[in-house]
Amino acid sequence: MNFFNRVLCLVAFFAAGVAPLLAADTARQVIVKAIVTEDSTEKRTLIASLVGQGDEAIPTLLDAWRKDLLFFYTPAEGAKIAVQLVGEKDEAGAQSAVRVDTGAPLTGPSGQPRRLVAGDLTPVDHNSSLRRAMKAVLDLLDLAAPDPAKRIQALQTIGQTQDAEKLFALEARLKLEADPHVLRILREAIALIHLKDAKTEVRLAALGELKELHTLSSTDFLKKILADAEDAKDAASASAARSALVAVERHRSAVDFFGTIFRGISTGSILLVGALGLAITFGLMRVINMAHGEMIAVGAYTTYLVQNIFGAGITIPFFGLNLHLGGLHLTGSAYQWYFIAAIPLSFLTAALAGITLERTVIQFLYRRPLESLLATWGVSLVMQQILKLMFGSNNVQVGSPTYLSGNWTVNDVLLGWNRVFVIGFGIVIVFGMWLVLTKTPLGLLIRAVMQNRAMASCMGVRTTRVNMLTFGLGSGLAGLAGAFLSQIGNVGPTLGQNYIIDSFMVVVVGGVGSIVGTVISAFSIGGIDQVLQQYLPAWAPGLGWVPGIGSFLQNLAQDAAVFGKIMVLGGIILFLQWKPSGLFSTRSRTLDE
Amino acid sequence: MSYHPLLTVEDVSKTYDGFKAITNLNFYLFQGELRTVIGPNGAGKSTFFDLITGRAKPDKGKIEFGADPAASHDLTELNEYEINRLGIGRKFQTPSVYVEHTVWNNLVLSLKGPRGVFASLFRKLSSTDRDRLDELLKLIRLSDKRDWNAGLLAHGEKQWLEIGMLLAQEPKVLLVDEPAAGMTDEETHRTGELLIELSGKHSIVVVEHDMAFVKQIARDNQVTVLHQGTVLCEGKFDEVQSNQKVREVYLGRGKHGTR
Amino acid sequence: MSTESLPRPPSARRLELTVISAAALFLIVGFPLLHAFGFVSTFTISLWGKYLCYALLAMSVNLLWGYTGLLSLGQALFFALGGYMHGMYLMRMIGDLGQYHKPIPDFLVFLGWTKLPAFWEPFSNFPFALTMVFLLPGLIAYVFGYLAFRSRIRGVYFSILTQALTYAASILFFRNNLLLGGNNGFTDFKFILGHSLVDRETGPATLRGLYIATALTLLAVYLLCRWLNGTKFGLVQQAIRDGENRVLFSGYATTHYKLFVFVLAAMIAALGGALFVPQAGIINPEEMKAQNSLEAVVWVAVGGRGTLIGPILGAISINLLKSWASRAFPDLWLIMLGGLFILVVLFLPGGLVSLPKRLAPLWKKLRAAPTPSSDSQPSTLNSQLPR
Repeated sequence: MNFFNRVLCLVAFFAAGVAPLLAADTARQVIVKAIVTEDSTEKRTLIASLVGQGDEAIPTLLDAWRKDLLFFYTPAEGAKIAVQLVGEKDEAGAQSAVRVDTGAPLTGPSGQPRRLVAGDLTPVDHNSSLRRAMKAVLDLLDLAAPDPAKRIQALQTIGQTQDAEKLFALEARLKLEADPHVLRILREAIALIHLKDAKTEVRLAALGELKELHTLSSTDFLKKILADAEDAKDAASASAARSALVAVERHRSAVDFFGTIFRGISTGSILLVGALGLAITFGLMRVINMAHGEMIAVGAYTTYLVQNIFGAGITIPFFGLNLHLGGLHLTGSAYQWYFIAAIPLSFLTAALAGITLERTVIQFLYRRPLESLLATWGVSLVMQQILKLMFGSNNVQVGSPTYLSGNWTVNDVLLGWNRVFVIGFGIVIVFGMWLVLTKTPLGLLIRAVMQNRAMASCMGVRTTRVNMLTFGLGSGLAGLAGAFLSQIGNVGPTLGQNYIIDSFMVVVVGGVGSIVGTVISAFSIGGIDQVLQQYLPAWAPGLGWVPGIGSFLQNLAQDAAVFGKIMVLGGIILFLQWKPSGLFSTRSRTLDE
Repeated sequence: MSYHPLLTVEDVSKTYDGFKAITNLNFYLFQGELRTVIGPNGAGKSTFFDLITGRAKPDKGKIEFGADPAASHDLTELNEYEINRLGIGRKFQTPSVYVEHTVWNNLVLSLKGPRGVFASLFRKLSSTDRDRLDELLKLIRLSDKRDWNAGLLAHGEKQWLEIGMLLAQEPKVLLVDEPAAGMTDEETHRTGELLIELSGKHSIVVVEHDMAFVKQIARDNQVTVLHQGTVLCEGKFDEVQSNQKVREVYLGRGKHGTR
Repeated sequence: MSTESLPRPPSARRLELTVISAAALFLIVGFPLLHAFGFVSTFTISLWGKYLCYALLAMSVNLLWGYTGLLSLGQALFFALGGYMHGMYLMRMIGDLGQYHKPIPDFLVFLGWTKLPAFWEPFSNFPFALTMVFLLPGLIAYVFGYLAFRSRIRGVYFSILTQALTYAASILFFRNNLLLGGNNGFTDFKFILGHSLVDRETGPATLRGLYIATALTLLAVYLLCRWLNGTKFGLVQQAIRDGENRVLFSGYATTHYKLFVFVLAAMIAALGGALFVPQAGIINPEEMKAQNSLEAVVWVAVGGRGTLIGPILGAISINLLKSWASRAFPDLWLIMLGGLFILVVLFLPGGLVSLPKRLAPLWKKLRAAPTPSSDSQPSTLNSQLPR
């Protein structure tokens, strides 16, 4: 699905839900013809003509036919009609009947639906050659599936197996296929099958085609052709294969490059979303909230709860009590709203948790950062355990709504929709925070209190209230982060622990107290992390020079994710040598902060 | 000038987030001099001390220490403890003593001597050291409170203790920031006497608001008036007091600075 | 030189010394004797051996946090590193008695190694392994500390960075590629210095020996800290805690002092870890989780930071509580630990050690006997901890 389709789809979803598609009835009519005709050759020809068509009725009907669920019904008042029996049998053994030609229920003279008993009817017969024809249709059915992703998958399977028997069906699709992306895969599949052709010129043409298409999946075939051609001293094929390979590799490095950039931005947004709340509580208020990660978890679990309430409901065990939350039993597009509903709710729950924490613990520790670190760590232990008791120690399933699942593929670069949305969310939330801090009275109060608590208090600002609200805002942002991170990673009681260290790093590198710094630092750290993960394995062999532990390092650097993270951390420590107070520092002139 | 200043501050500027704390400041301190620096709040007095003691680095300009131009030290290159070891001691505006340590230990920590890790582990106090500390205790009148935690002292006593700590370091240059704050008139007077007595042997810069105190210690010595991060005028106390610009700065804006 | 910060009546001091000496004597001599005569099980003595190792870890935390104001969340890392260095020696001592009966550790066989990796070779030698117990954590502490202190990373920033360091190390140690056993770590130890750890006959004596070694080490570290407190170094250390900038302006290179303490504390923690491994019978990356560092901080806070005996008291009492509560209330134990910590931070910043002093006025009130003594000098204030 391309981007515009996705947006349209989303718009349609928000407007009225997806409108049911009207089924074309030509395929049904073809099947009726095949059922009715007595000539078995004609039957086969009619069935075979269904190859490459995308009608949803085809698999249902052919399947029913093969399983003897199609029958002839001869009403008293006319010619025999082919029907399909569906649904549960009642006491009399009768089922509802559906007309094969229209797909509509079979009706009696007065328009009431008829119910029929299978034993009273003649089944539509079939023989082995007909079943083979049906199977061929069903096999190639996916080639014409309405969902392009399904078509692509079917084509890739055929291409990878180089199944020459299916060549004719592919060539038939070549004229029908309208989606350019699917078309490319289709051409690739045909070219791959052609690679096995006996005629040299066909093979050379296929190599030319593959060079033009430069699909990543053709690499192994090209390598094999190249090796074979070199063995056979076939210079023409070898050079064609080589140049095709070069094109593929060039394409691959471009894909890797843009993919890395995308993943860097997306990792950056994840870091940013996790760190923004901290940028307020730690950055502005100078409170070290080790329970920040648990605020993220609270947001994620709120999303989980909302999902369940929209669905079948949930029972939460808590200290021997079973708290039952009834479900709304929503289905379809109404159910998909759950994520939208969860966003403000996760903000509110986490904000409330934050305010409670501020009132009960943190307000006593404003001038004692180390103590607040320790006390909030205690809070984080307690919260983790409570989450465990309520939701179990295993990860819970937070499903993705349809508009957040799947990938957006741009020229072979896979962009996960959830990640695209996290990027968008990051932008929205930074902008929102900027608005709140600079354009609202609350923002003014927050800045006043954070700069000089005593002075603000003298000016009549109710600092306790502002502290409470600011901490609530920071925690609420963490909750929002949790809602979005539930779409990216696992949701478990220790979810927060995965983000807390990174979040602190982001804030420290950005400069404590600077939102701009936090944004820049999140994207820099995210970008560097992804670059290292992408390219470290390629660089690893270059580590051999290190005396003594060269091969050890080479080995270790293959673990790109871990080694990359460690290098990022080392980089942060070195960076702090150069800028001890981060990218954007706010200076203090007091002797001891 | 016939001889080289001990402390040279030339054309120094310092900006904090766009705020010009010090602008093109020139200041020369000679061996044995007792200099008083006055100026309204925000004139840059504390920043001035910060720059000399290495707490802040100037954006531009020269800060040098040493009467011999051939062997002088560039203070902008050194950090706090290196500058202190050269013999520049500082007393802070708010009394900064080690509140969790006893009066005696505060002085032990400040006593001139090796400052390295291993010396601190294995070197014992000699009897001369003890005598010196006892002497200092007597001078700052805290002999009977030598085992008290410094945090329990009254504000004025803390001021004295910090002066004692400064003296224990035996610095060449003493930078004294508002020594009289929180002291009784009698104590203030005694502080003045002490500073006067110390000058000659030591070179001293005193930042002060209290005009009576300034008058007491300035006597024939130079007074520097700082205003908006730069030297407004320099001269004898009487000259400064009658200077029109100084009067404007102090009186024109009323409540600032004067007591 | 006198470093006595609060003149206390000599009787209280004498009482304190007597109690501490008695406790030390019991732990070092009495407890092993009880074990030797069968009154205490081998399980119990090893359990207490582990508690004492944790006490060493707590002392290292206290040296940094209690006395120098450096809240390091990396002490579990050094503890585990010490454990790993000693563990490598113990793994070599298994010889070919492992599951695969190969001359190299089982997990290496499992990873497809046929020959010992070069860096494992020297660990067959006990003195080398012992040197590495100190050297590697010391070196890491030195490099990290040098960089952190040089750029004046202080307070919570230091805590956060040490936590990140620990985190990075733990994800590294979870990897098989590091060739240190991955997430299973090292286990199934058989011999230490030729003595069997598992033999039915001689095993208990070996474990008793290890317990005594641990108790003696703890005593030595206690005495070291006591001595440090009495030197000018101790004064500088505590002055850094209370006002580092002032110390700088007194001409002390605080960086050097902090670096010295950081390296020393790393080595003490590592020693604790090295003694822990043969008694626990296992070392794996779980030991170096940031959470373990924080737990060690809880012990110190509960026992009483900035005191000599507090961390030992805290480590032992919390671990006793943990052993009991994590079995009796497995679901609630972490809530109890977290809650305890919140309460101690908020209401008892001096820890258990400060309880007698806090309760003394109450006790006096109860006895209703006004004592006109040297109360004019508010000695209770002295004991209050800095911010």
